[in-house]
Amino acid sequence: MARMKFICDAERCIECNGCATACKQEHEVPWGVNRRRLVTVNDGVPGERSISVACMHCTDAPCMAVCPVDCFYRTEDQVVLHDKDLCIGCGYCFYACPFGAPQFPQAGAFGLRGKMDKCTYCAGGPEENHSVEEFRKYGRNRLAEGKLPACAEMCSTKALLAGDAPVITTIYKTRVLTRGTGDEIWGWAMAYKVSAKASAHAGVKS
Amino acid sequence: MRALVAAAAALALASCGEIPQDAAKPYAGKDDTKAYAGDMFKGDKAKYEQTLAKRAEYQNEYVRTGDAKVK
Repeated sequence: MARMKFICDAERCIECNGCATACKQEHEVPWGVNRRRLVTVNDGVPGERSISVACMHCTDAPCMAVCPVDCFYRTEDQVVLHDKDLCIGCGYCFYACPFGAPQFPQAGAFGLRGKMDKCTYCAGGPEENHSVEEFRKYGRNRLAEGKLPACAEMCSTKALLAGDAPVITTIYKTRVLTRGTGDEIWGWAMAYKVSAKASAHAGVKS
Repeated sequence: MRALVAAAAALALASCGEIPQDAAKPYAGKDDTKAYAGDMFKGDKAKYEQTLAKRAEYQNEYVRTGDAKVK
């Protein structure tokens, strides 16, 4: 059984917003709704770090726990999805989510909220796969096409990884062990090849 | 008096107990179609998982370039 997760490598993310743009384009997400966004810590200061944040498809999802109409469910791949036909747009999930993932489209005047929208891990929703209704409500179902989420596949620096947890943690482990973990982790060589310190080790190409 | 204190203490300590968090959460919505149910995988879950795992490996550029210190 797969356990689909995201990992964002803060050492690699260059805050290009390619992931957010890919998500917007792939699912035709309306204006004002951001299923994925960039968060930068110490913006403008040398050593700033950015990470790409969306629904993390929590193993013990707080949104699922607080929903008063029980519209959340978990797929076989451990992706947390919801039924928009059941959602009442109450916003409890927004307050419960530590990542700010649930989004609410502005449905009318006086701050009237529409039904909740969030990252679907490109897995669609509770409609027939690839149907017009599924695309309209949840966006494209890439998993059913044998593809991973568009944000991760579009990431130019491969900072954002998506896939089965053991697979992507192995990729991340390889990356960390190759580039090192000390004060040498800085700059291009660190991110894409091996650092000067690491290359001093026998058998490692710089 | 002693019984009252004991009862109060028992009541106060009861709040320290942990409510089980792993109870199955009900889902009231529509059933979803399995991702591997379509034309591409024809219900073959193993093939579906294999395809996604292979696709995830493409994200590891160290394997492509042969620069990995640990494979």
